Amino acid sequence: MEEKKNISENPLKVNRRHFFSQLSVGIGSLALGSLLIPDLFKGSTENILKQPLGLPHFAPKAKRIIYLFQAGAPSQLETFDYKPTLRKRMGEDLPESIRNGQRLTGMTSGQDKFPLMPPKIGFQQHGESQTWISDFFPHIAKIADDITVIRSMHTEAINHDPAITFFQTGSQISGRPSMGSWMSYGLGNENKNLPSFVVLTSRGKGNSQGLYSKLWSSGFLDSKHQGVLLRSGKDPVLYLNDPDGISRSDKRHLLDHVSSLNKLHHVETGDDEIESRIAQYEMAYRMQMSVPDVMDISKEPQSIIDLYGEDCQVPGTYAANALQARRLAENGVRFIQLYHQGWDQHGNLHNEMAGQAKDVDQASAALVMDLKQRGMLEDTLVIWGGEFGRGNYAQGKFDPENYGRDHHPRAFSIWMAGGGIKPGLNYGQTDEFGYNVVENPVHINDFHATLMHQMGIDHEQLIYKYQGRRFRLTDVAGNVVKDLLA
Amino acid sequence: MANSNNSRWVNYVIFGLSIFLVFCLIFESYIALPNLVAWLGRWHPVVLHFPIVLLLLAIFLGLTGKTIPKTLLPLATIMALITAISGFFLGTDAGAKGDLLFWHQWLGGGTALLAVIWYWLHTSGLDRKTYTKILQVALAFLIGFTGHYGGMVTHGEEFLAFPTNKTMEAIPENPLIYQDVVARIIDESCVKCHSSNKRKGEFLMTNLSQLLKGGESGAAIVPGNYEESELVQRLHLPLSDENHMPPEGEKSLTDTEIQILERWIALGASDTLLLSHLDNNELLVSLVDELRQPTEQRTWAELPRVVDTTITRLNSDYVTIKRLASNLDALSVTMYMPPEYNSDLLISLQPIAENIIEMDVSGLPIGKNEMSLIVSCKNLEWLEIDRTPVTDIETDTLKVLSKLRTLKIYDTEIGDSTLSVIQHMENLKQIYLWKTKVSSAALQKLRTAKPALRINTGIDPERQALYAKKDSISEN
Repeated sequence: MEEKKNISENPLKVNRRHFFSQLSVGIGSLALGSLLIPDLFKGSTENILKQPLGLPHFAPKAKRIIYLFQAGAPSQLETFDYKPTLRKRMGEDLPESIRNGQRLTGMTSGQDKFPLMPPKIGFQQHGESQTWISDFFPHIAKIADDITVIRSMHTEAINHDPAITFFQTGSQISGRPSMGSWMSYGLGNENKNLPSFVVLTSRGKGNSQGLYSKLWSSGFLDSKHQGVLLRSGKDPVLYLNDPDGISRSDKRHLLDHVSSLNKLHHVETGDDEIESRIAQYEMAYRMQMSVPDVMDISKEPQSIIDLYGEDCQVPGTYAANALQARRLAENGVRFIQLYHQGWDQHGNLHNEMAGQAKDVDQASAALVMDLKQRGMLEDTLVIWGGEFGRGNYAQGKFDPENYGRDHHPRAFSIWMAGGGIKPGLNYGQTDEFGYNVVENPVHINDFHATLMHQMGIDHEQLIYKYQGRRFRLTDVAGNVVKDLLA
Repeated sequence: MANSNNSRWVNYVIFGLSIFLVFCLIFESYIALPNLVAWLGRWHPVVLHFPIVLLLLAIFLGLTGKTIPKTLLPLATIMALITAISGFFLGTDAGAKGDLLFWHQWLGGGTALLAVIWYWLHTSGLDRKTYTKILQVALAFLIGFTGHYGGMVTHGEEFLAFPTNKTMEAIPENPLIYQDVVARIIDESCVKCHSSNKRKGEFLMTNLSQLLKGGESGAAIVPGNYEESELVQRLHLPLSDENHMPPEGEKSLTDTEIQILERWIALGASDTLLLSHLDNNELLVSLVDELRQPTEQRTWAELPRVVDTTITRLNSDYVTIKRLASNLDALSVTMYMPPEYNSDLLISLQPIAENIIEMDVSGLPIGKNEMSLIVSCKNLEWLEIDRTPVTDIETDTLKVLSKLRTLKIYDTEIGDSTLSVIQHMENLKQIYLWKTKVSSAALQKLRTAKPALRINTGIDPERQALYAKKDSISEN
């Protein structure tokens, strides 16, 4: 179905603003004025309508994104940001010149000391790129030259929910469309039999924070751009299958009738959501065939099972989701969002992270390698990372054997692979305490701008006007990080 | 009586404006314009059309011996003066004056003053004299030249030049880096404003010594240090920045072009450097190579037009046809497995075959018919026929796809004879061919024949074995 811009063409759907903006164009006597100053009387709608929807603004480097979100915020100091100074100055108080007024969460703001805590896990350099990767990730270490580690991410949020909402929607306050929805809105479906934005969740044994469907909501965008959560088990999409005794042709019959009624109603009211609803029914009908097919991993050869690890045969695990992500990508899903919960290590960090890392290490690396051998790393962007970083001082009692870390927004590490991102790059630096970014900071808005750029979207041009205000994923900020681009 | 009273006033106005114009032209360098006056200058492009038409009309009437209507000449003269004065305001406001503007200004002033002289001769009843006729002819020429220079100031020097094919001469085999590469980039993107004609920012980019000398804001190039070179810094500013070059509305330099400038500066910004002087692994070598290659966008511009309705018509639930970008006629085609496969879905794409740049039919039971469609897509650059039943018989026809860059053909039944076809595909950059019947000897032969071709033969078996092993972290 042809996507319409948010200014409806239905003649009934004229609002006051619309009316005036059209009126002003219509008055011929103002023609001279508009000749001299072309923008003087132009309704604002025209600019938004200039770019056709559903197509990139320029030839894209990436056609799809797989976002391996590590929910709860894995510590940069135990993953990719190696800071030997922390060991040298272990137990010393975090210098105020470094903390520099950084606000803390209620969990450590009461502490009178902030003793520096080194990671218990070791670090090695890997690959030709000499990327520092902790020993938690022996498999990711093997793909060091395929990934780009960004150690200079920073955010404003200090608590999970605003931080993860910021990452997903470009705003700390919920209600905006998720980035997968923006991509779906801007680029349309690649495969009309599957949603363009799919969500898969899994949970580790570590301390978890909640995930809410608002993270993959389409906000004010048309609801068909909403992320579809695929569940593990028999019914990946709830209520997708027909009840017993209903044949596929009966279903077709039913849909045709419902759709003709809906169309009548649409002519009457001009509500675009009705059209979305019709489109969704149709897609659901086709998904009855396509989803079971995509979800069925029984045809995957043993070599692939070995690659992702045997966990990938257990539905609902991160490894299974990673394999699923590849299959969805192969089938033209544009934005595949994985969440793995359990990275919120306020205590017992070493053991919990070991467990979390084991969940994701092999499957994440396997996904990159699998995409690479299929030539899909060329046009698929893989991202691995959490919503913020963690502090460099011990939370609570100082015990190098069993410590925790509090939230830290000023610096954290993520990695990306493929999709036209330079491989084997180490980008950005933090100070010797791993606390502040000292080189090439990348803000979440910059991250979003870069992602959109790789997908062929000018982040300043994909705009949706809602309640009298224009919205972008990057709102009023964001620069494409050109250094990252291959 | 009233009439002569009027014409007296007209005389005063013309006299006053003439004096003002002469004053402006003589004391130009001492004049600083208040904002409002500078704004009046902006009306120059609007006003200037009146005297051109009115004067030419009067000249035509004068030369053909007809009577010139009473009000025409004074009106034309006044408009000429106003135009000249407003033009002077505009020029002063614009800052540095290039050669073009210099000539336009004096010619324009001359035109207006010549018109005044004519008006004076006219009111003195000397219309029939030969020198008046000569003056009229001269005036017509002046108007022409003034207008021409003015047009070049606003639209660029080449605006009226005969259209030539913009395909530039090929870069020579062993180019002088400055003359054949750097200067060409600068000529294309910078010289329009930074030549002796426009002198924006008092910075000329027409030769190396001027480049090194820099302009208003100091040196533009620090040989050996591109990061400190203002020229490079400005290229990297965000587009919205006022100091970004080229300015808004002009075409930005490509990344390759910027990198070439950077490397050239880093290597000392010399004009004697030859490509052959450089090490083979010097970045500049590959950058120059890249510049030689026609970019995709350029080749795609020559594709036949395809209209949206055609795309919509051929799209179906299981075939997705999209433009690679909204302004391109280059198409990508992806087909997904429908519940009942029918080769017609693909065959029906024949009308747009030439526009198809990317095609993905992986995992489909394609055969001979589909293959003949595929090979008729002569502009194809990206082809995915992995996990299909194709064999050496079908792939034999692939050799006509001379533009193919990427070929995914893993998990198929192809064997060694496909590789000999591939060996002759000149533009092929990468191929994915694991899980096929290709022998390692043939593979080795391909590797030696085409060392630049990236051949993906799947995951390294050693790595695969490592992954298949139970990992150690779980145990501790």
